Amino acid sequence: MTADIGTSSPLLSLLLWLPVAGAVLCFASYRSAVLARWVALATALLVLLLSLACLTCPAGPDGWMLLTDRSWIEAFGIRYSLGMDGISLLLVILTAFLQLVAVLISWDQEKYPALLFGLLLLLEAGIIGVFLALDLVLFYLLWELMLIPTFFLIGIWGYRRRVYAAVKFFLFTLAGSLCMLLAIISLYLLHGEQTGSYTFALAALKQTQLGFGQEMLFYLCFMAAFAVKIPLFPFHSWLPDAHTEAPVAGSIDLAGLLLKTGVYGMIRFAFPLFPRAAEQSLPVLAVLALFGIFYAAWIAYLQTDIKRIVAYSSISHLGFVVLGLVAWGQTAWEGSLLLMVNHGVTTGALFIAIALVQKRTGTRELPKLGGLWKSQPNLSAFFLLFSLASLGLPGLANFAGEILVLIGTFGSHPLWAVIAVGGVLFSAVYTLRMVQCTIWGPSCEPFDRQDLGRREWLVLIPLAVLVVLLGCYPQPLLDPLQLPVSLLLRSGGLP
Amino acid sequence: MSPAALQSLLPQLILVFGATLILLAGAWLPGRRLWLYSGAVLAVLAALCAALLSPALTEVGGLYGTSLYARFCTVVWSLLVAATLLLSRRYADLHRFGGGEYTALLLFAGAGMSLLSAATSLIGLFLGLEAFTLVLYILIAFNRSDNRGAEAGLKYLVFGAVATGFLAFGIALIYTATGSFHIVEALGGLQSGGALRPLGMAGWAMLLVAIGFKISLVPFHLWTPDVYQGAPAPVSAILSTAAKGAVLAAFLPLLNVMGSGAAEVKLVISLLAIITMLVGTFAALPQTNLKRMLAYSSIVHMGYLLISLLVGGTDGGKALLFYLIVYSFATFGAFAVVTSLSSEQHELQDYAELRGLGYHCPRRAMALAAFLFSLAGIPPLAGFFAKFGLFRAALVHGYTGLAIIGIFASLVSVYYYLRPILVLFAQEESVTLAPNSGARGEYLLLAGCFAAVLVLGIYPGPLLDLVAVVLP
Repeated sequence: MTADIGTSSPLLSLLLWLPVAGAVLCFASYRSAVLARWVALATALLVLLLSLACLTCPAGPDGWMLLTDRSWIEAFGIRYSLGMDGISLLLVILTAFLQLVAVLISWDQEKYPALLFGLLLLLEAGIIGVFLALDLVLFYLLWELMLIPTFFLIGIWGYRRRVYAAVKFFLFTLAGSLCMLLAIISLYLLHGEQTGSYTFALAALKQTQLGFGQEMLFYLCFMAAFAVKIPLFPFHSWLPDAHTEAPVAGSIDLAGLLLKTGVYGMIRFAFPLFPRAAEQSLPVLAVLALFGIFYAAWIAYLQTDIKRIVAYSSISHLGFVVLGLVAWGQTAWEGSLLLMVNHGVTTGALFIAIALVQKRTGTRELPKLGGLWKSQPNLSAFFLLFSLASLGLPGLANFAGEILVLIGTFGSHPLWAVIAVGGVLFSAVYTLRMVQCTIWGPSCEPFDRQDLGRREWLVLIPLAVLVVLLGCYPQPLLDPLQLPVSLLLRSGGLP
Repeated sequence: MSPAALQSLLPQLILVFGATLILLAGAWLPGRRLWLYSGAVLAVLAALCAALLSPALTEVGGLYGTSLYARFCTVVWSLLVAATLLLSRRYADLHRFGGGEYTALLLFAGAGMSLLSAATSLIGLFLGLEAFTLVLYILIAFNRSDNRGAEAGLKYLVFGAVATGFLAFGIALIYTATGSFHIVEALGGLQSGGALRPLGMAGWAMLLVAIGFKISLVPFHLWTPDVYQGAPAPVSAILSTAAKGAVLAAFLPLLNVMGSGAAEVKLVISLLAIITMLVGTFAALPQTNLKRMLAYSSIVHMGYLLISLLVGGTDGGKALLFYLIVYSFATFGAFAVVTSLSSEQHELQDYAELRGLGYHCPRRAMALAAFLFSLAGIPPLAGFFAKFGLFRAALVHGYTGLAIIGIFASLVSVYYYLRPILVLFAQEESVTLAPNSGARGEYLLLAGCFAAVLVLGIYPGPLLDLVAVVLP
């Protein structure tokens, strides 16, 4: 891979290392919560600005805007290569934005504040890195880098069953990623035997000649890692626990970002590396996705913990995303990617709203909640807005993505689309139930009658604006996606 | 001995004569700190000598080699001895160790380890091995007021004596079969076969048993948890790192020399590796004591290292040395944390006592977490590339089954490494025994190990290159 395609600039490395530096500073200032807080805020803000600055970079004819490629560990043929195309760009901006929100929402954390902010920044580095890496070992490294901070976020700051949830999350995802690691090394060895050059570069490994059996095996190993992360239907059981027990910043990161890394891994790595196996697996993936949509929606309807409802709704929404990928068409893929971004924003926002509700009422149980509108009209309004966006009300964020997925799927597989439409209905059912029992109905007695505070406004308003904007005018997001998606669909879209 | 021979063995001589000197002088001048520090300086001096001085002879007395590999090993073990001496400063004060004796014993141990990994003859091997195990018997039971320490020392002594018997008898049998003590000739003779080959193979089996005791392979591992738990924490640190590393490092050229004639030996070793990894892993799961858990963890790591030993050649050698160094940093660091937390009456090592330590001493708790994550092989810490290199070498050379068992073991291992980490941070109960604030030297060492684990995890290139250079 050469660096002369696109522009080589230090911007990508900066995006990756700036949060790391911020994290180190946060850890170092463990004596002063104030300092750590401001360092974290400044870093998160800077990263967001940097990622927005990437918007100005022109995309090359092959879709890549920025590429960086350096030698790193020559003994193993591992290179430090990062690349950014439209897909990465959107996801990186989403990451930077949500992480800023996460920092703001955990502002007055009293338990180990410095550690919390440091871990949030470290997690940000990991996620951004995953969206940029083009060398498989680098990718794996960053993929695992997401694990430790998330583990601590859940394990230290979580709710009652946090230890159980943290360990479950860790073991599930690690088991998946070790499968992927085995496949990566085997692929690397095969490639080395065939060509004599041992490398982990994605573009080179794509050229490896594989028998169909081998290809399928490797593909399944990769998918084990990604399916756990997404999570696809039978691999989802870690998610409700992790989401429910995680603190609000952890939930934002989990739902808003970590789940997306799985989908991203599929389209950037699993599909291009093993196209034949991927093609064969599409019907299975479709069935799992469709089943997941309904199954998760059904389970969500039965929950009484509002956070758990949103957690299950994530599985359902990600089912839509995967369905879009399976449809294997330009519109459907664009819809999937858009839905990912939208889901990140709406679900993040919803988790924040839930955290604020819990802060005021001390509970997340539906039977104990109700009538919040009377005492907290502003918070309730935001809660309603985000819930409506989540259930896919036209004009709000999720709708645009879902409709594109459905249109795209209908073009190639009408039956799947028809079934999936039912899923939209289901999501309305459980979301409306949640809203109704929380905001209206017999009122519960919140022990804190204070409506939104200043910082809470500051967090919620941008989210609300985004939710409306993304719903009404998603075109700016679709533009950068167009070229890379078409390239990925055609030839794997590698630099 | 000729001056050239003396010059070639200078690092070991520095250690031995330095130790003797300190032992003698320590009887007159009972300054604990003075002797510990001067011992550390001597060990560093020996390391510098080994690193910088090019030896005049390639082999001394037909017993010890002075290859780059041997010198590299000397550097590593000497530095570990120096680190242990530094680490012991506060601990020795607390428990009123005799400074001179303690320092001298550790230096002797360093000399023994360095001789062991330099051995080119079976006699040299025996002498080196015995030199440092003998010293370790005393060091393990050094804390006289601690019954558990005495028990540990006795256990190590009994098992060690049996192992010595096996070793001596094994060497005798190999000598009978081949007529030579020199490793290259002895093993070469074995390879060519003949009527006496069965005797030689029996000798090899005994050698393996002895080595199995020393590096605690299953089923010869029973002493390990008790000894680690009972020994003073700094001694456990060197016991689990240098003492095991030296044996493995000595064993690496042995297998390389055997080449294709080692099929039976390799079969036995791969069986040992499999049961060591599996039994060690499952025995570690229920542990609730940090030192015991680290003992089982070291058993499992020895199992991984056996894989690289089997792979052999440059690939296996590189993987082994790199892994050994990374493992040593992490394990030494973990024991250093235990040392720095210990008070006069007690070492904090039960999980119940470590609860909420993250509040009381965030830096040490964080360092301990990093060491455990590194041992578990979670990137971006150094343990990941160590395991990566090791399993890669195994896969390249066709040891797929072993690699998969290893990867499975390291997946399960995450659970027992996570438990103490969760105890440190996730549980809020306050520590019953106030942890000690620790000494500056201990913090220095911890910072060093922490930095090494982190830097080698992100940029392992230089160490990999170095390791490739020193291999025989």
